Parts: sequence; structure tokens; C-alpha cells
Amino acid sequence: MDRRKSNETTKSSTTSTVELPPPISASEALIVNALCALGLAFAFWIANTVYSIELVTHPSLTLFFIWITELPIVTLLYSRYRQNRKQCTYLRAVGRGVLGVPVGALLNFLGAIAVGAPVTFQYLPKTVNWALMMSVFTTIPASCVLGSSWADWRRIFAQTKPKGSIEYLICLPAHGAVIGAWFGAWPMPLDWERPWQEWPISVSYGTVAGYLVALVASLGFVLACGRSQHIKRE
Amino acid sequence: MKQSEATSLAARKRGKWGYIWPMWTSLLLHLLAILLFTTGFLLTRTELPYHSHCSDVSHSPCFSSNNNGSCWTKPATNRLLIIVLDALRFDFVAPSTFFAESKPWMDKLRVLKNAASTRPLSARIFKAIADPPTTSLQRLKGLTTGGLPTFVDVGNSFGAPAIVEDNFINQLVQNGKKVVMMGDDTWTQLFPHHFERSYPYPSFNVKDLHTVDNGCIEHLLPSLYEEDWDVLIAHFLGVDHAGHIFGVDSTPMIEKLEQYNTILERVIEVLENQSGPGSSHENTMLVVMGDHGQTLNGDHGGGSAEEVETAIFAMSFKKPLSSVPSEFDSCSCQLDLDGKNVCISTMQQLDFAVTVSALLGIPFPYGSIGHINPELYALGADSWNSDASQKLSESDIWMQNYANALCINSWQVKRYVDAYSTSSAVGFSHDDLSRIASVYAQVENHWSHSTKKLLLDRQNDSDTLVPALKRQIDAYFKFLTTVSELARSKWTEFDLNMMGTGIGIMLVSLIFQVFTILRANKKHGVMFSSSGDSCIITGSIFTIFLLGIRACSFLSNSYILEEGKVANFLLSTSGIVTLRQSVIQGKLLKESIGFLILSTLCRFAIEVGLSKQAATSAFMKDYTSWIINIASGLPVWDYAAEVIPMVVLILLAAWLYKATSGSLFDWPWKYVILGTILSYMLIIVHWITDSDRFGGTLMSQNIGRTYIPRIIYAIALGQLLLLTFGQLFKNSSLDCKTILVAKTMAILSAWSSTVILLSGKQGPMVAFASIVGGYFIMKFVNVEGGKDEPHRSFSIMQWSLFATCLFFCSGHWCAFDGLRYGAAFIGFEEFVLVRQAILLAIDTFGFSIILPVFGLPLLVATKYQANLGKHFIFTQLSQMYTTYGLITAITTTFTILCVTIQRRHLMVWGLFAPKFVFDVFNLILTDVLICLASIYYFDQGKDDQELKS
Repeated sequence: MDRRKSNETTKSSTTSTVELPPPISASEALIVNALCALGLAFAFWIANTVYSIELVTHPSLTLFFIWITELPIVTLLYSRYRQNRKQCTYLRAVGRGVLGVPVGALLNFLGAIAVGAPVTFQYLPKTVNWALMMSVFTTIPASCVLGSSWADWRRIFAQTKPKGSIEYLICLPAHGAVIGAWFGAWPMPLDWERPWQEWPISVSYGTVAGYLVALVASLGFVLACGRSQHIKRE
Repeated sequence: MKQSEATSLAARKRGKWGYIWPMWTSLLLHLLAILLFTTGFLLTRTELPYHSHCSDVSHSPCFSSNNNGSCWTKPATNRLLIIVLDALRFDFVAPSTFFAESKPWMDKLRVLKNAASTRPLSARIFKAIADPPTTSLQRLKGLTTGGLPTFVDVGNSFGAPAIVEDNFINQLVQNGKKVVMMGDDTWTQLFPHHFERSYPYPSFNVKDLHTVDNGCIEHLLPSLYEEDWDVLIAHFLGVDHAGHIFGVDSTPMIEKLEQYNTILERVIEVLENQSGPGSSHENTMLVVMGDHGQTLNGDHGGGSAEEVETAIFAMSFKKPLSSVPSEFDSCSCQLDLDGKNVCISTMQQLDFAVTVSALLGIPFPYGSIGHINPELYALGADSWNSDASQKLSESDIWMQNYANALCINSWQVKRYVDAYSTSSAVGFSHDDLSRIASVYAQVENHWSHSTKKLLLDRQNDSDTLVPALKRQIDAYFKFLTTVSELARSKWTEFDLNMMGTGIGIMLVSLIFQVFTILRANKKHGVMFSSSGDSCIITGSIFTIFLLGIRACSFLSNSYILEEGKVANFLLSTSGIVTLRQSVIQGKLLKESIGFLILSTLCRFAIEVGLSKQAATSAFMKDYTSWIINIASGLPVWDYAAEVIPMVVLILLAAWLYKATSGSLFDWPWKYVILGTILSYMLIIVHWITDSDRFGGTLMSQNIGRTYIPRIIYAIALGQLLLLTFGQLFKNSSLDCKTILVAKTMAILSAWSSTVILLSGKQGPMVAFASIVGGYFIMKFVNVEGGKDEPHRSFSIMQWSLFATCLFFCSGHWCAFDGLRYGAAFIGFEEFVLVRQAILLAIDTFGFSIILPVFGLPLLVATKYQANLGKHFIFTQLSQMYTTYGLITAITTTFTILCVTIQRRHLMVWGLFAPKFVFDVFNLILTDVLICLASIYYFDQGKDDQELKS
């Protein structure tokens, strides 16, 4: 039942006048993912060596470094693979990516509150920075590539049915980050009394871990996808 | 197809029992499993109502000292000053040289150490070993009764923990001694009518370090000059509270210890000054003791060495005995920092009651199983010089006395063991009893035939007497140790075989339930086309995943503490999944967002509840909630808190009234719902008369307070009766689905008035939330499963999670201090166990079990637009109830496994056992209500044949 319904929706989305971006090659995907991961590592390195802060001691500042370094990398990289190239210039894709930041952050913020993030004022900057980081990982690539196409957003985020290699690069890391964050909340109630059990430290670690794992996994999917297309073409 | 028709025909022939029997079977299995497990796990001891009397001692083979005007033993002290320092660790008192490392909190109570080192014959420090659970209430019980406390003391009335058993405070009062108490109000709860004067201070604000202590200090020193007491008890709480909040290694703790040091110095000074012949404290003994220890974090309750080891310091202010018989000394001595010799002995707290009774010369508490500690008893020695006609040394006379006291002691313990095994349901085993009897007979024989004669014959010199006495004393020790060891193993050891059998039966019942559900599923698989299998499987897998997380979370004490938050986390997660589903299908978006908002609101309510828990519980501390910061102070809030519940209640009533105007409701149900509306109005009147703000002058307070609630209970009872018997006379023309909805609404409304009344002001809000949440979940049934599939395990899981959240939202938590005892007394002033227990259960589980279980048919009824016939709906309903029961049973099974694994955990009595009791009660109540609901819903009416094509 469910599958039938989703098939209908995918059909309707393909019939709409969306010009698909050219498929991304495996080496290109590798470069994109490697740059994202390197950006993350760079942010941690900057925070650690230049400012000598850590996620455990200064969570909000470190999270701020992470999202501020990742934001240009992600927007600039993903805007290259935008849909509807004719109507949408590169700059416009970058612009809508930046516009997507507060929207995605708001959604993640509300989601975190619903699931149980603390709401006192002392946690507010941490939660905001965490939500911005989540937004960079989850919604920014999608808003750069897809723009405001509700059908595509629904297909990728609600149904998890990406088509083509670039959509794997959007879909999997976003899901990885969310699922990682969800699992990252588990150790929080334990009575080990470690500083990293505080909100949002363990959750951020979970996010980053989930994101990195999903980056690798998406690479695998891109390879598989490319091979199947290759076979089809032959 | 033919086969399935045959089975359905068979099911129809069996009538309603065809649907119901799996539920009854699982109820019976659960009852059996829990009964077996509980007998093995919850150590129970029956409290005997008997008391010791002065005249009893004539039945014993020992010498009684009745002729002196005293009672069982010769009194050694006249007055006793007991200073209890709550949570006094052993290393607070003992010199730091006794430990491997010197810590900042050691050597602070110098006055005790100095007294023990300068006057070793009249002052002594003991390391006192407590029996877990090491909580103040249980320890005070143990200290005064001389028995072993267990988790469930049968006969303990709930709400009022007054001690029923015989205890030394009771003996003091019985024998005309006057007792004065000051400090911790636990004492006045335990002994409500015993004290001559008492100055109780509330003990439960952990953050308050000084109120109790300052109150004690204010009354203690003046009282020392008064003559109107024989025993004075001063219970200081500062160290306990400082530990809970700041930990042991903290400045407030050290300040507290320093403060106690100065107070004790002054107390000892006053007593010393008045200890001359003829002064008021000529024959006074000072005892400074802890009731239990604490860990470095300030926790206590469990059985770790830090919590169990506390100290007793005893000092007498008269001329000491020149030499104490060294044979009975168990002390270890060491030089302290000043180079003085300090000796420390070891004793069991179990022995405290009987030793103190022997010192004061009152009858020993009936249920005491301790023995008279020779070193503590020796501190009171010397006032027996009256019969100095003998040619024995002081120490020999002391030994003679001690032997006689032990004789009475052994006789009393034997009497208790005999009485216990005849009057208790679970007494000692036959083998144990005969072993005790044979040891006692041997000892007694020795006493009657040799020692007694030697003692009577005054011409003996010490050379013949002393070895005989020693042998006799050793024999008594042996007997008393045997008994206390046996009692410990009986009352504090788990019966693993019973527990294992219980778990085994529980697992069997789970398999049975799973099998029942699968069988019903198979039936549906034949009856319907199996389209959309993958969706069912993902839904079921997600359900199992959520259930698995929830069940496994009970294996850790941290997750149990935060259970409300964990349940809400899972509820929100399920809400997000639903949101995803509804985005896919493009419908019910508003509802799923609404559900997420609702679960967020639940989350805040749960946090408020947890902060309440933090105020009373020792485990959670420093938890501040922003809501409390907002809600305090402004008078507007107070006003709103009074008015908003009433407004919500009126809204609920209006909604119900609107519902009755539909054609859906026929006569029995219509009147039931009208009755509920009346009850709601009465609740509002009750609140108005109860509150000070609106001025209770409209009506006599009494009517508002007692009669209105009683009328509401009566209406609810009448509604339930009407619903039960009404359907017998009703021949409805309506179809099965409509009747099901009407019945569900009627019974929910019948229960709701009582539940709301008992829940107090929060009731209408929680009721409103549960209606809204239930409505959303009902809507989601259609999203998740499509139209025809028998798939709703996910909805049932959501329903159950939501019910759990409501339990925490309504301000409850799984501990006995989380019970709202006030609810049990709404409408009633006096205490009747069964009635008050029922009210308390309705308050505790009203929103989390009673309403959800009776509301479950709504999930079936809203799912099917077309009327598919009675048999189909009933099969669905029965499967749904079995699934709900299974979810509860699985979580309870994990709780049971958890307490089995963690039975040696230090929080077992503080955290796991209450959780176990709550979950078991939860399971049984759910099962019973499911059975009742199934009887109520599956009626024998005629099937709608025309629809069953």
C-alpha cells in the first residue's frame, strides 16, 4: 500500500519539469566527501591548537567553529550540483543555501526541544550552535541542490528514496547525522558524571560520527550507482 | 478460505470466552510468576504485636531482680542521653591513625576521641555495623526494636509508619520512664504518643542544613538541667544533609563537624559538672551515635562498607569499674596523633536495643534478636556494690551479673523465635528450629544444673566460679550468634530458586502471548489479501525496537531514575516517525505536528515532576527547573493556578454534553455521561469550597470537603453498575461498531470524574492532554496501516508510551515517596486500609492504566469505516488487548530481570525494589483491567448477519 503510494509520488515528481543535474562521478563524490570531512577535521584542529578549546570544555564555541568552517565548504561544493541549471545560477544556489541555514536550524532546534534538550538560558547558545551545525549537515546541501522543490524534499527526507548519485550525497549524510545525534543522546542520563555527558557534547559527537560514517557509506552508494548506470548504458 | 470460516464459526460458537481466554490465562500466569518471584525477592518478616512485661521474667530459668524494684536486670544507669548524628561515618569519630590515609574530614570530633583516650574505662568508641537498608527510618526501627528491618514489614500501615512492634522506647514508657525527644521528626512519626516532650523539626528539606540542628541545640542544653526526663534523644541532621548536597569532602561538612564538636564539648562539660554524688547526673550515660554511614557522595541506603559502618560513643559519668574482664574485649588500640592510646571496639547495631534496655533495667523488646554487648554493658558497671558481702572481686560480680543478663537475653530470644514461627506464615524451617532448640536446650541445661547452683552457693570463691561463668557466657554467645545468623539469612538473603522459577514462568507467559498474537495474525493473513507486507514489517520492527530500548533501559539505575524522560524521548521519536509517515502520505500533517507539541508539553510537565522528586528524594539533587522559577512569586500565577483547572473542566463537560447530543448515544450511555457532567460540576464546587481564595463561607466546610467527594464516588459507582447491568437489558438496534464506541465513551467518562477528583488541580489538564493525545493516536492508526491491514502494533506502542508519560506528567514517580498520600484522604478523614488503598491506586494509576486500557477499543473502532461485522471487530480487539498486555509484560519482565541482576547493588532498596513493586502492580492491574474490559466489551449480542457476507 505504502509502496504503491510512494511510487505514484515519484512518478509525479519525474513528470514535473525538473532538469536533473548531471550524474556525479565517483572521483568527484570522493573529493566532495573528502573536503567535507577535512573541513570538519580542520575546524577541530583550529579550535584545538589555535584557540586551545575543546568540545568538552567550550561546547558552544567549538560548535560555532565547526559550523562556520563547514558552511562555506558545503554551500560552495554542493551549489555546483544544483538542479535546473538554466534558471538557477551558481550564486543563487549559494544564496538559497545560506537562506536554508536558519530554517534548518529552527527545525533542528524544535526537534531537539521535543526530544528533551534542556531549555534553560545557560543552554541556549549551545543548543543554537548545535542546531546550526545540524542544519549545515542536513538541510544546507539539500537546499543548495534542490531549492524549494517540496516533492524532492519529501522524496529524499521522508521516503528516503534518492535517485542518482548526487542525491545519495545529500540524503545519506543528513540521515547519518540525525541518527547519530539520536544515539548520541543515550549516554546522557547515565551516572558516570563525566563532563562529556552534558548536553550537547555527546550528541555532537554522535552527530559527527554518524555524519562521517554516512559520508563513507554514501561514497559506496555513489560507486554502486555509477556502476549500474554504466552497465545500463552498455 | 473454508478452513478460516470453520475456525471463525468455531470461535463464534465458543462465544465471548473464545476471545477472552488468552487474557485470563496470561493473568493467571503473571500472578503465579510474580507470587513466586516476590516470595524469593521481597524479604518479608511478620511484625508480632506482643510486648515484653516485667512479670514475664519469672517464666525464665534465670534470677530476676524483682526484689530491687527493678524489672529484668539490675539497672546500671538511671538516665540516658542519646545524641544521634545522622549519617555519621565511622571515620568521623575514629582517629585518623586507624586509616591508611588522613582525610580532611577526619579528627574533627576531637572531644569524643579525647574522652575515650583519657578515660578508657568509662568512655569508649565503637564501630557499629548497621544492617541495610541504611535509611534513617529503617535504621531507627532497627535500633529501637533490636530486629532486622526488611523491605516489607508486614503489618506496617501505609502513610503512618508508627512502629507496631515492641521497642525500647515503648518499654521505657511502659515502665514509667519519661522520654524527651528533639530534632528529626521521623521519631515523632515512629513514636507518635511516646514522648513526654518533643521538639520535632521537619527532616525532608535536604537543602536546609541548620533548622533541625539549631532547634536541637536550642533545647538540648537547657534540658540537661531539667529533671523531667529519664531518656533524652537529640537527633541532628546537618551531617546527613551536608553529605547529600555537598558530599563528604566539603567545607559545609567540616563546619558541621566542628559545630558538633563544640556542642558535644559543652554537653560533656555540663554532665561532668553535675555528676557529683547527689547531683542530677550522678548516674547518667551519654551515647553519641550515628544511625548509618554515608558514601563520599553523601548517598546511603545500600549495604556498602561506607554506608553500613557508623560509630557509637558511650560514656558514663560515675566512678568506673577498676578492671573490666579482658576476655570479652574485642577492641583494637592505636596511638592517635597526640600520641595517646585510643581503643575502638566493634559491635552490631542489632545489639543496641537490648544492651540499652539491660543498662536501664527495663524488659528487653519482644522482637529483639541481639545480644548484650559486654563492653557497652561494662561501661555502666559499678553500682552493684550493694551486696558486697561476698568475697568476690568487682569484676567477678560484674561477670555474674552479665551471665544472668545473658541468660534472660537468651530466654527472650528463644521466646521470640518460638512465637514467630508459630504465628508467622513464612516462619523458620523445621530444621532450623530444631537446631536452635537443641543449642538452647544444651545451654539451658548447663545453666540449670551447674552454673545456677554455683551462683546460689555463696561460699564459692572466684577460682571455681569464674571458669564456670566464662563457659556459660561462651555458650550463650554461641546460641545468640546462631539465632542472629539464622535470622540474617532468613530475612536478608534472597531465595534464588524461587526467583528463577518466577522468571521462568514469566518468560513462558511472554511466549504464550506472542503465540496468541501470531496465531490471530495468521488468521487474518488468510482472511485478507496480504498486501503491504513490507509496511507491516517495518512498523513492527520499529515497535520492537522502541520496546527493546525501553525494556533494556530498566537494566540501569540511571535510566530508571530518568524513566519519565526516557519514555518521553521515545514518545517524541515515535512522533517524529509519524510525522515522516504523514509527510509521505501527505495527510494528517497538523495532527502529527500537534502530537509532537503535545509530547513536548508532556516533557516539561515531567521535568516539573522530577524536580518535585528531587525535593524529597536523596538520589536526585541540584535539579532546578525553569518552570519553578517562573511560577513562584507572582500572585497572578496563584490565581491562574486556581482558575485554569476549573475552566478546563468546564470545557471538558461542555465537550461531553455536545457528544451526548449526537444520535450515537442511547439511554444507558446518555445517562452515564450526564452523570459525569454532574460530577464535574460537583468537583468544581468542591474546589471552590476547599480553597481559601474564594472563601469557603458559601457552604459549610465539612460538606464541601467530605460529602461532595463521596457523592462523586457514589455517582461513579452507580455509573459503573449501570453500565455493567444496563447492557443485559438492552437490545440495541445499532451496529456493533457504534455500540463499541458508545460503550467506550461511557466507561471512560464514568471513570474520569473520580480520577480527576483524586488527581487534584492538575487533573483536568492531564485529562485534556490525554484526550488530545488519544485523539491523535486514533487518527494515526489510519495513516500507518492503510485501511485493511491488521497492523497497529505501532499505535499500541505509542498508546502505551503515552500512558507512561501521563504517569510521570501527573507528578508520580516509581518510589514510595512519589505516592500522593493526600489523594487517599479526599472525602474521608479516617483511615481504613482497603478503602484508602483503592483511592491511592486510582490516583496513582488512573491516567496511566485505567483510562488507557478502557480507551483502547477506540483504536479499533476508528480504524474501520465500513462495518465488518462483530466477529471481525472482536478478533481485532482481543488481539489488540493481548498486544497491550504483552508490551506491559515485557517491560515488567525486564524490571524483574534487572532486580535479579542488581540484587546486591547498593541502591537495591532505595531504587530497584520500589521500581519492581510499582511495575509488578502495574502489570497485575493492567492484566486485571484487560480481563474486566474484555468481559465488558465482548457481549453476547446477536451478530449482524446481513453484514457478514
